[in-house]
Amino acid sequence: MPEVAEWERVLLPDIEKNETEWLAAYLKKGGYDVARKALDMEPESIVAQVKESGLRGRGGAGFPTGMKWSFLPKGAFPRYLAINADESEPGTCKDRPLMEQRPHTLIEGIICSCLAIESETAFIYIRGEYYKSAKVMEKAVAEAYAEGFLGANIFGREGKRVDIVVHRGAGAYICGEETALLTSLEGYRGYPKLKPPFPAISGLYGKPTIINNVETIINVPYILKNGAEWFKKWVHERTTGLRLYSVSGHVRKPGVYELPPTVTLKELIHDYCGGIRNGHDLKFVIPGGSSVPWLKPDQIDIPMSHEGVAAAGSMLGSSAVMVCDHTVCPVWALGNLSHFYKHESCGQCTPCREGSSWLYKIVRRIEAGGGQPGDLDTLYSLAGEGTPGSGMISGKSICALGDAAAWPVGSAIKQFREEFEEHIETGKCPYRERKTSYWMANGGFVNESFDGMPVP
Amino acid sequence: MTAMPEILKDDAEEIERLIGKYPSRRSAMLPLLWIVQRRAGWVSQGAMEEVAGILGVTVAEVYEVVSFYTMFQQKPVGRFHIALCDTLSCAICGTHEIAAYLAEKHGIEMRKVTGDGLFSMEPVECIGACANAPALLLNEDLVGDLTPAGIDAMIEECRRKAGATAAAAR
Ligand SMILES: Cc1cc2nc3c(=O)[nH]c(=O)nc-3n(C[C@H](O)[C@H](O)[C@H](O)COP(=O)(O)O)c2cc1C
Ligand code: SF4
Repeated sequence: MPEVAEWERVLLPDIEKNETEWLAAYLKKGGYDVARKALDMEPESIVAQVKESGLRGRGGAGFPTGMKWSFLPKGAFPRYLAINADESEPGTCKDRPLMEQRPHTLIEGIICSCLAIESETAFIYIRGEYYKSAKVMEKAVAEAYAEGFLGANIFGREGKRVDIVVHRGAGAYICGEETALLTSLEGYRGYPKLKPPFPAISGLYGKPTIINNVETIINVPYILKNGAEWFKKWVHERTTGLRLYSVSGHVRKPGVYELPPTVTLKELIHDYCGGIRNGHDLKFVIPGGSSVPWLKPDQIDIPMSHEGVAAAGSMLGSSAVMVCDHTVCPVWALGNLSHFYKHESCGQCTPCREGSSWLYKIVRRIEAGGGQPGDLDTLYSLAGEGTPGSGMISGKSICALGDAAAWPVGSAIKQFREEFEEHIETGKCPYRERKTSYWMANGGFVNESFDGMPVP
Repeated sequence: MTAMPEILKDDAEEIERLIGKYPSRRSAMLPLLWIVQRRAGWVSQGAMEEVAGILGVTVAEVYEVVSFYTMFQQKPVGRFHIALCDTLSCAICGTHEIAAYLAEKHGIEMRKVTGDGLFSMEPVECIGACANAPALLLNEDLVGDLTPAGIDAMIEECRRKAGATAAAAR
């Protein structure tokens, strides 16, 4: 196995140490100099630099950040900035180390971004499960207030104000969807809203609002400091900058890896993460968070950029790579993910609420040996081919959770059709028979017996 | 009708500070419910009445929120509540073994509170600890890279803490 050389890391150079960089340490290395510099810049020129860098959202959709910022209606105030730290797409675990290790870089990013979009108030919406992240951010924000970096007249500059509110969610995947995040922040159930109007026009409390992921915003001070060209050193087609890949599952060294978008999925798995554990074979990879189409072992020699992964028929999403070895039954894995979406559907739209539940029940039935001859057709008619708009759910509901529930289904069946058919024809799961692992031998997952689902 | 604060009777100052952070009073809903849960361990009908009174909304509106977010407990749980992640990355790395180990070795079973009221456990969806699978939340703390030895140490630490409070109360 080739050893990988130490590579350049910017956002999380010492991730292994897992230490918080508090204010004193941050100031020692020139922290908040960029925010001071940004105070002397015209908002438009900050936006222009971010545009020029090609920075795209790290939350999943990869929307160009500078362009999003320029959608704000002229002269409409107040405006809000909401930082999406809900990080709940399964497989994704990179915003947590950013907040817990580099809270002040995030705050500096927020200050620069607020200056760019002329907002005086930012909210950091942190998922409820990340209690430590919230505590670290609270403390760092208090440090910044005490120094006069936040609040009224920041850095002693008359009339310049930035306030940051740290807000905790309480366990709901859907609150990562931007409009749901805002309704949740207003103190309601996290229900998404139909777009348009887009939040940039009418968002939090009906005011123009920009929503950006933690990793997106933390890149801003580096871009302002080093310039757009520096950021574009790392480039594959229209994907620029280093990014954080969360790798989980059956690799020897799971973790969060900061790498350029030219790194291939194969290098990521085999070189950086040490390959598949226990000398097992790779079965399939989910390259961008649980909602994206699956890739087989012969499809992983692709650059991990938006374009590279799209060319292979999947999506980069939140750059969360989930790796499954040959002990994992694809029908079971799909059942696990379908359970997730069924559980997390907010319930507003019938296609998503009922559809995600049907998908789960049918997939689980097949896995448990009770599959019916027409089941795959039924799944296809519900979930479509794994492409936007196909099937009875995708594109027919308020937000993209419906799509996210449907996409893995079409792709899993396409990739492993024979195995789905074998389950249905033989009425059993060969992985359970072979006892490929403890959980597979015992079937199902710990959630299952509480769903009231008859398991044959 | 405004309920006299009971659970939140010592938090008036903190609550006003929280409410003051937001452009709208109602935005303090989740923060207030978090205080309730920290104080009482779960969110009771009485607690919802208190929160409704403070925020000037109906109890139904508070209940609507409480029932939406999975981390708010609607029934009493153990003093140490375990939320075991069962989504793909954790599930393929041993959630099931951990659940079985907790039950067999420590008598902690899914969706039950132990007889001494110390422990309870529920399965949850992804908690964002995927690279440290399998993982769980012990009350509000993330515990990852679970092994049988790690579980033993974690449970022992809980028992030690419980013993210490009992001794202090005596
Ligand atoms: C169901 C659903 C869940 C989402 N979850 C998250 C999340 O946990 N974190 C996140 O940053 N974006 C999430 N998004 C994307 C957000 O809606 C939004 O696009 C993003 O926060 C914008 O920030 P960015 O442009 O910086 O990426 C989710 C979207 C959907 C449809
Ligand atoms: S698509 Fe699903 S999650 Fe999104 S609003 Fe509709 S029901 Fe809710």
